[in-house]
Amino acid sequence: MASVPVPAPEAAPAQPSGTKIVPVVIAFVIGTAVSIGLGVYGRLHTPTGYAVNISGFSTGPAAKAFLATIVIILAIVQTVTAMGIYGRIPLRGAWVNPVHRWSGRLAVLISVPVAVHCLYALGFQAYDGRVIAHSIFGCFFYGAFVFKMLILTRDDSPGWALPLAGGLVLTGLTALWITAVGYFFFV
Amino acid sequence: MKHRSPLFTLAAVALAFAIMFTVNMLASPPGNSSAEPASPPTPAATATNSTSPSSVETAAVSPSPTATKSAEDSRFSEKIVYAGRAEDGAGAIAVAVLGTQSAAYFCDGRSVEAWYRGSVTGGDLSLKSKKGAILRASLDGDHLKGSLRVKNERVRFEINEAKKPAGLYRARGSKTTIGWIVLEDGSEVGIQTTGAKSAPAPELNPEAPQVTVDGENLDAAPVNGDEDL
Repeated sequence: MASVPVPAPEAAPAQPSGTKIVPVVIAFVIGTAVSIGLGVYGRLHTPTGYAVNISGFSTGPAAKAFLATIVIILAIVQTVTAMGIYGRIPLRGAWVNPVHRWSGRLAVLISVPVAVHCLYALGFQAYDGRVIAHSIFGCFFYGAFVFKMLILTRDDSPGWALPLAGGLVLTGLTALWITAVGYFFFV
Repeated sequence: MKHRSPLFTLAAVALAFAIMFTVNMLASPPGNSSAEPASPPTPAATATNSTSPSSVETAAVSPSPTATKSAEDSRFSEKIVYAGRAEDGAGAIAVAVLGTQSAAYFCDGRSVEAWYRGSVTGGDLSLKSKKGAILRASLDGDHLKGSLRVKNERVRFEINEAKKPAGLYRARGSKTTIGWIVLEDGSEVGIQTTGAKSAPAPELNPEAPQVTVDGENLDAAPVNGDEDL
C-alpha cells in the first residue's frame, strides 16, 4: 500500500541523476490508450438509453450528480493532502498519506458507477459543446488516472511527473463535474 | 524500487468497471424486475465497504443492486413521441418516451415553457420540471391523457402519437435553449430562452434542423426521452 510518492519532504525533488523518463512516457502512452479506448467504446457502442439505476434517488441523473459531488469533495481532500505531502501547506502527520491514498481510491471507485452509466446508457456524444467536452473529459479522466497509478509504481520518475499526473486527474474531474453536475444543478 | 499497490488499485477499478458493466448487461434484457432493496445503500455504506481492497466488489456493486424498471413494466411503445395542443388553447405539449424514460415539453409559443423529465410505470408517466412542476399522464388507448400545472393553473391535455417529422426538438447553444413542438399538421410551437428572457422560437425545418441565434449556429436534435434536459 505504498503509493506514497514522496516519503519525506526532503526527498520531494527527485534527484535528477537517477530519474528515468522512459517509464513516464510508457505510462503516458498506456493512459492515452485507455482514454482513446473508452472514447471508441462510447462512440461505437449503441447507447441503451438506460442503465441500472442507483436506488434511493428520484432520477438517475440525480444519483449521478450526488455521487459525482462526493467524488469532487474527495478530490478536494486529495488536493489538500497532496499539498501537505509536498510541503506546500503545513499539513503533517502519519495520517496525511493514508488519507490521500484512501480518499483517492474511494473517489475513483465511486466514480465508476457514474462513468459506467454514462458509457453504457449514453455513450460518447457530440450534440453540443457541453456534451462534447464532457465526453472528452470523461475519457481523459480515466486515462489520466491510469497514467498516475503507473507513475506511482516507480520511485525513479522525475519529480514533476506525479504532480503533473495528479493535476491532470484533478483537471479532468473538475471539468467533468462542471459540464455535468454544474449543469444539472444550476442551469 | 517498485510499488505494486497502485497496480492493485488499478486492477480494483478495472474490476469495478467490469462488474458494473456486467450488472448493466444482465439488467438490460427485459424480464429482470428485481424488487427494491429494503434500504437504499447510503454513501456511508459505500465508504465502509471500500476500506479494504478485497471489498472492492461490494463497493462497486452495492450502489446498484436493483435493475431499473425493465421495459416489461412499460405499456408504451419502446420509442414513441406524443404531441398536440393542450385544452383551452393554453399551449402545446409533447411527450417523448424511450424505454422507461420520458421527457416532455410544454410551451405556449410566447413566453411560458417547461421541460420535464421522468419515468414510465406501466401505462403511467410521472415527470417533473427542474423547478418541481409536475406533469402526469396515462395511456388511454392510443392517446396520452394527462395534466400539468402552469402558473397555478391546471392544464389538461389529450394528445396523439406524433410521427416524424412531427415531434419534439431541442437546441442548445452557449446561452440559448430552444424547444419546438412540431405538430402533425406541420405547425410549430416553440420558445427560445436566453438567460431569463423568452421569445418565440425561430422557424425550424425538421428536415434540416439548424437555426441561427445571435450569429450562433445551433443544431436542433429530436428529443427521444432519455436526455438530460
